[in-house]
Amino acid sequence: MKILIIEDELQITAGIKSYLKPHGVHCESVATTQAAIEKIGLYDYDCILLDLMLPDGDGFEVLKALKKCGKTEGVIIISAKENLDTRIEGFNLGADDYLTKPFHLSELLVRIQALIRRKNFKGYNMVRFNEIGVDILAKTVTVNDVPIEFTKKEIDLLLFLIGNQNKVLSKAAIAEHLSGDLADMLDNYDFIYAHIKNLKKKFHAAGGGDYIKTIYGLGYKWDDQQ
Amino acid sequence: MTSNKLLSKSSRALLLFSVILLVIAGPVVYVMTNRLYLEEVDQTLLLLKLEFEQNEGTFKSAEIPQWNKYNKNAKIYPPGDLKKDTLFSVVYFDKMEKEDEPYRELNAPVIIDGKPYIYMARINLIEKRNLALGVAILFTAVIILLLAGIFLLNKYLSQKIWKPFYDTLRQIEAFEIDKDLVPSFLPTKIEEFSRLNKSLGNLIEKNIAIYKNQREFVENAAHELQTPLALFQGRIDNLMQMQLTREQAEILEALNADVGRLNRLNKNLLLLSKIEKDHFFKTEHVSVNEHAEKILPFFKEQASGRGLSVTYRNDGILAINSNPVLVEVLLNNLFQNAIRHSAANGKIMVTIDERRVTFKNSGVSELNIERLFNRFAKVASSTKGNGLGLAIIRKITELNQWGMHYTFVDGFHIFVIDFTPGDQ
Repeated sequence: MKILIIEDELQITAGIKSYLKPHGVHCESVATTQAAIEKIGLYDYDCILLDLMLPDGDGFEVLKALKKCGKTEGVIIISAKENLDTRIEGFNLGADDYLTKPFHLSELLVRIQALIRRKNFKGYNMVRFNEIGVDILAKTVTVNDVPIEFTKKEIDLLLFLIGNQNKVLSKAAIAEHLSGDLADMLDNYDFIYAHIKNLKKKFHAAGGGDYIKTIYGLGYKWDDQQ
Repeated sequence: MTSNKLLSKSSRALLLFSVILLVIAGPVVYVMTNRLYLEEVDQTLLLLKLEFEQNEGTFKSAEIPQWNKYNKNAKIYPPGDLKKDTLFSVVYFDKMEKEDEPYRELNAPVIIDGKPYIYMARINLIEKRNLALGVAILFTAVIILLLAGIFLLNKYLSQKIWKPFYDTLRQIEAFEIDKDLVPSFLPTKIEEFSRLNKSLGNLIEKNIAIYKNQREFVENAAHELQTPLALFQGRIDNLMQMQLTREQAEILEALNADVGRLNRLNKNLLLLSKIEKDHFFKTEHVSVNEHAEKILPFFKEQASGRGLSVTYRNDGILAINSNPVLVEVLLNNLFQNAIRHSAANGKIMVTIDERRVTFKNSGVSELNIERLFNRFAKVASSTKGNGLGLAIIRKITELNQWGMHYTFVDGFHIFVIDFTPGDQ
């Protein structure tokens, strides 16, 4: 997977790169709209992360350039602006998703994964991990091809865990992911304990592997080493 | 009716002056006129005596009875003790008019035919009384007219002159620094008012600029904080991936909680300044019940984390024309506020009817609500809230002119948002 990061804060870019690398994502980066438009003209990317506030102009210019080239890269806007109008304009110009800074890198990763899936697997949208299969569209989970009852929230949590495999996920990151728009209204994270417990129970009952590890004091991790 | 209004005060002073003047002047004029007339009369009497004395040479004693018979008001009497001219007032009964009449009388010693007599002359004063009265009345009438005229003229002119002042006053009273309506004063030729308007205009302009600067400062500061906060969060996430001792993990989790709290505080600051700035003009048909029911599951889950039970009662559909984002933010913060400020294992009860939203949650003691509505004030140090929630609630209700009431009854905090406060 190749993505382009268009962001002028180099430290943020570095943070994204190092987080995504173990997940098979190769990152290129630029820090100005000019450089971005050049790169886009020359190369194709699976996904573009676009910051709106760039030193030499507005991130929207990049979107317009993309449209002009007729390129269909998936664009995720990452911006500090929390503005309904900005969001709408972004979507109107062809952006696929919008993440407000600051965000958890774990959230960014699953958004990229979701975007790639939408782009590449129109109609067939499946996530596999060993014996576990998740049908995104049908919203079903199978273990060894045996369907298991999972609630929407549980599937969401599962995809989040698998997407960020081998990464320690803080309770905060998990809670915010599950809460969506209401993430800012979180008062406590205790509720995720129940969801995690349910996931473990269901996998155990279905004879699936024990991939969910509790990391003391911090959160959870989907560990591919059982 | 005492009033401290400008016109009343000046009018009252004038009125008082007028009354005092009348009360004093009327009688004084009467008395003065009287006196003047009396002096006139005395002069006349003395003149009469003088004229008589000039005819003395040709006057014989034998003619005296005839003189007295044909002169009603001038008589010659036999001499008495009189040494000099004496003037005095006296009352006689008039046979013709059949009433008492006042007279002014002169008794003077004269020599007729070489013998002493007393010359008496008198003048009827009844005219004097009528005249004096007439003059006094006339004078009083003129004064009354004059004063009434001045009074009315004063009132009319004052209202006209002070009109621009009252207009300015009205506009200042209606002015609110956080609304976009800037006063525009009526042009006036009166120098003092012109100066006043100019100064006020400058003052308002300057203060609006300061206010906007302050708001922008907060907003800019919050925006500036976003990047370092994002980096902070990112590094903590990175640190989490490393091999840590239990102790290190605990500290890291605490750090994570702290930066999360900073993030939320920052976001709330941005939200608050956005609400103040943007006003959120776009309105549409909004069902408050729908929004509440949408977010209910999330908050129920949150509440159970604290052992709180949440019950929701739909007593009627509350449909309004408003900005849906503001309604959502309002409800979010009302819920969060209820959860945060509830006593442990307490109850939260949400009720919506056609006019109101009521949030009731268990509490220990009455909140100092005014203090709480100021940004950053907190209930107790144990709450993890950042205090902006209530400020946001208040700002939104103010913007939409919704009513908000807080009471503490039977161990419950009760927040009521009234969406139709205008019509009772």
